Amino acid sequence: MTGGLIVRGVTKEFPSRRRRPPVTALDGIDLHVDEGEIVCIVGASGCGKSTLLNIVGGLDTATDGDVLVGGDRVVGPGPDRGMVFQGYSLYPWKDVAANVAFGLQCARTPRAQAKARVEELLGIMQLSDVAHLRPGQLSGGMRQRVAIARALAPQPDLLLLDEPFGALDAQTRRSMHEFLLHVRHSTQCTVLMVTHDVAEAIYLSNRIYVLSARPGRVAAEIEVPFSNSRGPNTQRDPRFLDLRDEIEDLLHGRAVA
Amino acid sequence: MPETVSPPTADAEPAADLPAAEPAPSGEPLLPTGTRGRRHHPLTTVRGELSPGTSLGLGVAGVVVLLGGWAVLAAMTDTYLIPSPAEAWRAAMELKADGRLWDDLTASLRRIGIGYAISMAIAIVVGPLMASFRSVESFVEPQIGLLRYIPASALTPLFLLWLGIDEAPKIALITVGTVFFNILMTADVARAVPQELVNAAYTMGAGRFTVIRRVILPHSAPGIIDVARINLAAAWLMLVVSELLAAQEGLAFRVVRAQRFRDVDTMFAIFIVFAVIGMVSDLGLRWLRKAAFPWSEGSR
Repeated sequence: MTGGLIVRGVTKEFPSRRRRPPVTALDGIDLHVDEGEIVCIVGASGCGKSTLLNIVGGLDTATDGDVLVGGDRVVGPGPDRGMVFQGYSLYPWKDVAANVAFGLQCARTPRAQAKARVEELLGIMQLSDVAHLRPGQLSGGMRQRVAIARALAPQPDLLLLDEPFGALDAQTRRSMHEFLLHVRHSTQCTVLMVTHDVAEAIYLSNRIYVLSARPGRVAAEIEVPFSNSRGPNTQRDPRFLDLRDEIEDLLHGRAVA
Repeated sequence: MPETVSPPTADAEPAADLPAAEPAPSGEPLLPTGTRGRRHHPLTTVRGELSPGTSLGLGVAGVVVLLGGWAVLAAMTDTYLIPSPAEAWRAAMELKADGRLWDDLTASLRRIGIGYAISMAIAIVVGPLMASFRSVESFVEPQIGLLRYIPASALTPLFLLWLGIDEAPKIALITVGTVFFNILMTADVARAVPQELVNAAYTMGAGRFTVIRRVILPHSAPGIIDVARINLAAAWLMLVVSELLAAQEGLAFRVVRAQRFRDVDTMFAIFIVFAVIGMVSDLGLRWLRKAAFPWSEGSR
């Protein structure tokens, strides 16, 4: 077993000024992602979902609790957990191929092997034609495809996506959903994704954790009943619509209270 | 006259004395009745766009006005106080003819080149380290905060005492006079690297020094060129201070020397050389930034 994520009792408190009690952003989060699964975390803005993802990525530390990947405790960032951020975060001075190769160079992968891996990923993401353009010359959807390819290059056990499609327009977003399903199909990677788009979460994932806000707690864990063969009709399935209403109610009920 | 009020009906004719809102008959072009909004001439628009030709023309006109003002001022005053542009030009040609201009120029450029290169080299190492490690920042910032307020020119006598009267004190003065500003500004440039770019590198397995070398430095490079360009003016200031005291050649030395002979023509000739060198180096560094870092925002 290589992949598989277990989050156990993760709590995050931010110290606050003027002797007030600290702000609890995350309160005893328990969740797991099994190998090969896509799991989404949905929640209103401010529920700490990005903080949770950063803790899993090792970029932030939990006040309490454990994060285990493949049985090992996460103490910092590493190439076993690839991350994609909402703001693309590509290196503007490197062309597409060099961006994707970054993690391979960090791992001192032999040049020929790295080149082959980059070409394979650019092929999967349909970026071969733009391999020698810089990020500044690409559209938002293409940039995010580069970011996903770059995160996948070191063959991470876990792919962490932080609202990856939030900055894209609705049409590009839809095609990115197909891309993500396609990538998952061809790489069998394990994915944990944070989003505030409920329909997106249902369409993409095997399971969904709904987070309530202030403090962030797991309000519900929902199994998504669709198999891995999803298509445009999935979104018109009555079960899809019921699930969407159920999650929206959970989110808004909490937000109003 | 009694008025009869009748309820409005669907086919009621509009009253004859009310202006009828009649649609323009189709086929006849609809003429604008006025204008809305306000338009300014590009020359006087806040942040207006000018064609490159117009920009260049305005720039040339500005230089012509400057030279014209000089000529007028020279004509109005004693020629022993302000020479005419022609007299200054003649003096420059004389300096050039007997080789002094070349010697002065190379001597000054050598001092600036070495002194400023050392200053930038220190800044490129210390600045990004300050921006990357809070510990380095906390340790170094108060030192620089104190040292940079000691006017470097006040250290001249000390440098002469320590380093003799040759090139060393002059180079040291240029380095010391610019290094603190270069460090602080380079650190600011390196601090402006978005945290997400750093985080992305960590999640791809980069170590701390890989992050500095392969993310922070490349992202900062265009900004560091800007820092070098801006602080170069301070380097020239320190060069003049160094040459005023003990030098056998150099541009500022030539100015001091000319004062002894009341040779204002030569002084003005050297001033022009200063101005031209400054402008050429500024344009050169701008070009370098654009050519070397086409991806950078400010390069366009």
